[in-house]
Amino acid sequence: MDYPNRFDVIVVGGGHAGTEAALAAARMGVKTLLLTQNIETLGQMSCNPAIGGIGKSHLVKEIDALGGAMALAADRAGIHFRTLNARKGPAVRATRAQADRQLYKHAIRGFLENQPNLQLFQQSVDDLMVTGERVTGVVTSTGLRFLADAVVLTVGTFLGGIIHVGMQKQAGGRAGDAPSNRLAERLRELPFSVGRLKTGTPPRIDGKSVNYAGLEIQAGDTPRPVMSYMGSTADHPAQMNCYITHTNAQTHDIIRGGLDRSPLFTGEIDGIGPRYCPSIEDKVVRFADKDTHQIFIEPEGLNTHELYPNGISTSLPFDVQMELVRSIKGFENAHITRPGYAIEYDFFEPRELKSSLETRHLGGLFFAGQINGTTGYEEAAAQGLIAGINAANLSLEQAPYCPARNEAYIGVLIDDLITMGTKEPYRMFTSRAEYRLILRQDNADRRLTATGRALGLVSEPRWQRYLEKVEAIESRKLHLDKHWSHPGDEAMETLLGQALTREYKLSDLVKRPNVQIDGLLEAVGLDWADTEINDQIEIDLKYAGYIDRQQEEINRVLTQHSVSIPERFSYEGISGLSNEVRQKLEQVRPATIGQATRIAGVTPAAISLLLVFLKKARHSLDDQKSA
Amino acid sequence: MTGTMAHTDTIVAIATPAGRGGVGIIRVSGGRAASIARLLVGKLPAPRLATFSNFLDADGSAIDQGIALFFPGPNSFTGEDVLELQGHGGPVVMDMLLNRVVQVGARIAGPGEFSQRAFLNDKIDLSQAEAIADLIDSGSQRAAKSAVNSLQGRFSEKIHELDERIIRLRIHVEAAIDFPEEEVDFLADELIHQALAEIEVAMAQTLAQTEQGAILREGVTLVFAGRPNAGKSSLMNYFSGRETSIVTSVAGTTRDVVKEDIHLDGVPLRLVDTAGLRDSVDLVEKEGIRRARQELGTADIILLLIDYSQHFEDWQAQAEALLAEVGHRDGAIVVLNKVDKRELEFIPTFTVPVFGISVTMLQGLAELKAHIQQAIGFDAQVEGNFIARSRHLDALRRANLAVIAGRQQLQTRQAGELLAEELRIAHEALNEITGEFSSDDLLGQIFSSFCIGK
Ligand SMILES: Cc1cc2nc3c(=O)[nH]c(=O)nc-3n(C[C@H](O)[C@H](O)[C@H](O)COP(=O)(O)OP(=O)(O)OC[C@H]3O[C@@H](n4cnc5c(N)ncnc54)[C@H](O)[C@@H]3O)c2cc1C
Ligand SMILES: Nc1nc2c(ncn2[C@@H]2O[C@H](COP(=O)(O)OP(=O)(O)OP(=O)(O)O)[C@@H](O)[C@H]2O)c(=O)[nH]1
Ligand SMILES: [Mg+2]
Repeated sequence: MDYPNRFDVIVVGGGHAGTEAALAAARMGVKTLLLTQNIETLGQMSCNPAIGGIGKSHLVKEIDALGGAMALAADRAGIHFRTLNARKGPAVRATRAQADRQLYKHAIRGFLENQPNLQLFQQSVDDLMVTGERVTGVVTSTGLRFLADAVVLTVGTFLGGIIHVGMQKQAGGRAGDAPSNRLAERLRELPFSVGRLKTGTPPRIDGKSVNYAGLEIQAGDTPRPVMSYMGSTADHPAQMNCYITHTNAQTHDIIRGGLDRSPLFTGEIDGIGPRYCPSIEDKVVRFADKDTHQIFIEPEGLNTHELYPNGISTSLPFDVQMELVRSIKGFENAHITRPGYAIEYDFFEPRELKSSLETRHLGGLFFAGQINGTTGYEEAAAQGLIAGINAANLSLEQAPYCPARNEAYIGVLIDDLITMGTKEPYRMFTSRAEYRLILRQDNADRRLTATGRALGLVSEPRWQRYLEKVEAIESRKLHLDKHWSHPGDEAMETLLGQALTREYKLSDLVKRPNVQIDGLLEAVGLDWADTEINDQIEIDLKYAGYIDRQQEEINRVLTQHSVSIPERFSYEGISGLSNEVRQKLEQVRPATIGQATRIAGVTPAAISLLLVFLKKARHSLDDQKSA
Repeated sequence: MTGTMAHTDTIVAIATPAGRGGVGIIRVSGGRAASIARLLVGKLPAPRLATFSNFLDADGSAIDQGIALFFPGPNSFTGEDVLELQGHGGPVVMDMLLNRVVQVGARIAGPGEFSQRAFLNDKIDLSQAEAIADLIDSGSQRAAKSAVNSLQGRFSEKIHELDERIIRLRIHVEAAIDFPEEEVDFLADELIHQALAEIEVAMAQTLAQTEQGAILREGVTLVFAGRPNAGKSSLMNYFSGRETSIVTSVAGTTRDVVKEDIHLDGVPLRLVDTAGLRDSVDLVEKEGIRRARQELGTADIILLLIDYSQHFEDWQAQAEALLAEVGHRDGAIVVLNKVDKRELEFIPTFTVPVFGISVTMLQGLAELKAHIQQAIGFDAQVEGNFIARSRHLDALRRANLAVIAGRQQLQTRQAGELLAEELRIAHEALNEITGEFSSDDLLGQIFSSFCIGK
């Protein structure tokens, strides 16, 4: 049967990508439907109950700056907050929150249910409706047909999902959920290139059976960081501790003894797993000389005893899991509540996507999240947001939006995916961002909120708060630029630890490595509230040289890199281009010269040739039009 | 000047390399052309008017004198601001001038890049697209060859060693940043300071050696090759003006490679004498012949000497055989020696140039020399080698500055991220010499070096 109402945008999948996609599209004012297998699992964290981390909190704050849900939910659900890399500099500083699973889901579901223009529907999608080279809607497992201008697919690890525990395997989308096999088969019939990836999760442990005596306690940080620009510690629920324990020689012996029944080492699993998130058996085999590995024991929530032992992801048989867990200090009598497992699933070659996350093969169809070869909630949410925005843009007949590499980690993520593709589950790291000093978690709002506002993503309260912040930063900076400190200023000389030999602008004094803005404000008797704003001023001033240099680097290539390449541009006629380079360009089909430069093996000479022939092509096109 | 032009980077190239006493032109195009003019000429020359001036070095001394011309965009050859410096100083001086322009903010132009800019700015007709493409293509092939030439021997070794060290350091620094929950904090480690200091020293040394030309090949290499006793060493000594190589009437006198650097009217030239090519059972001589062959591989010009007094009838067959042995290379010249002992007959056209000379009686040498000068004086090869060397030097300098800055940042601010940024810049500069190295490559190295992840 045809569902009576037509939608502008349909989002399939209620994970982290799907929920952000649906919320973004609805915020932009288009009629949106979120279709998911099970409304109870909306916003479910399949693995580690934590949001943020290095590179990841950068994404979360960008999503937040663009009006997304993840940071707000993390503040409502966070039971343990930490600032990572506190002393290594503001650009690489990051925020990480352990989240109460239930509270997190609850927060996300609340946002979804209260979002105007958005409807939820529980049903599994089995098929896409396709006319020519366009998607027109989806068909559910009961044969319901929903029509829409655009469809966003965010079905995570569910496509052809196979779960492994030792030599036993079964079909599944994640523990407890059915896989999406019909949809997977159907997608394999369409012209997408499909690959297999693998990821894993550790066994969960009953906290009542753990002996905490002698385990290292890890408390949350004070002052406690906040995830959202709209958040405050008042949003946070009660806080909990984490603990640290270690594997030992005996643990490693047990693991080695079980390798003959490990699907990873017997060749059962052929999906490629992430190198930075190896299973414990992988670690023991690859780094045989290490006799111990660290395990973070993280609470799953306020109202449960379940624990997440971070660091022993495994797909060894259950009997080995039990034995290895019990060899670890504190876990001597531990009871496993859920076995660890590995999961293999389908993903689609992301180089077949445009930067809008629309597929190049089927118009109106967008892919986001794990199905594009990424891993992680934050990576999924970031893509969901962009896909949702662009599905709405398509329906509204507006130009697509994707931030550039120098504007956001989201831009780095998407550009990496569509330009380089990926061989293993892709995770964000700050080292992937060449403009790292500009892309900080503290300035995501200053980078993106104005754009978000123009797109219709940013609510009035967020906008006002942003304007106030920017205004305060500017006026305070001006003040520091206009006021001077003179020789003989006692408080200042005490702060500097030396006499002033001449007068200095306050803003110049802030730039000194040994001066902190708080101390300076105190020395000159300025009582400026809001450390967030003062911190921004300090970073802006102290890093001005570096920031300007990166900006210059960006500007230098901007004109050339923003030259666009038509979607159906023919690389055939370019003399002087090697076959190898031509093939690469045809595979990626870069949208701009900038993107073309980032394809491995595309030389500067090839770029020069491209520019020349692009100009020629553009002119012959103009000639045709005028003829 | 239009707004967009400020955003294109500024390029420089030697438009015509100076030969003996001729005029050499250096051309600069882009947003910084005017400021570069102010620095090198002392003021901005009036538009399109030839201004005679000194071309200044960083310390204010004159590198050269000549004519400066400034063409403001868009009414210039490329459509951008263009500065032209016409000097008289010969290739070495041109090279210094080029380096100075690079130092103050230009980068060395890619193959065909001036024409490409002219084309993109509507200064060249659209129908010329293919021609421009050819220029870019052939230019980049030549540049690749020059880069290989420049990157030979010790220089290459040193650069790769520096690259390795930077990678090792970056692995530690980046891992400390992206994986702070791992047990070791590499940044706090004293070893990082030590490694940085070591790199700084090694880089400064390589840079100094390179600037002095000690390990980087300069200019053109001329190899003397042929059968024993043909007179190779004698001719080499004639060119160098010294008794560099031993000359005797014994066949097989030269047994090792003998090198001498000279200037031929301002063009730096490396002369390489080699052991006579023949089948030998003598171990020392055999090794000498192996080395001779190796030198032939990197030669720009090969003089194939033949004793004409012995081979006046079959010199062509001899020449063919030698040519086959050196792999029919570009730049081969057949030299028939000892024409004092047997008068030269009519020489039919051959596949490569042929000259008849006598080293002892100083016959035909002026012609040979003139030919060699012509072959190299205005040949793209010299320019190519010069440019490749300048490129490499420039990259090395930038890497060095970044490493120094990085160490300071770590010392004064304990700023890991700024050290990381400087190391990234240093590494990218070195990669211009050694080839692409992506952030993914770096992550790959981190994952294989440390047990990372939970
Ligand atoms: C075992 C396991 C271990 C993991 N380990 C890690 C890790 O260590 N580190 C890390 O960063 N990340 C890990 N992850 C990944 C993390 O869970 C995902 O990256 C993230 O959840 C992906 O978000 P998503 O929105 O793309 O998909 P998901 O969160 O998987 O959501 C998919 C959604 O689609 C719905 N759905 C599926 N099929 C259909 C259908 N046909 N019709 C309608 N709805 C459908 C599902 O019900 C679900 O709501 C792990 C995941 C799993 C399963
Ligand atoms: N008559 C005459 N003799 C010459 C001439 N050039 C060189 N000779 C002589 O030829 C002999 C060999 O000269 P070398 O220069 O040593 O020859 P080579 O090619 O270096 O020989 P090997 O090093 O043994 O391979 C010496 O006795 C020279 O004096 C020439 O132009 N005329
Ligand atoms: Mg000799």
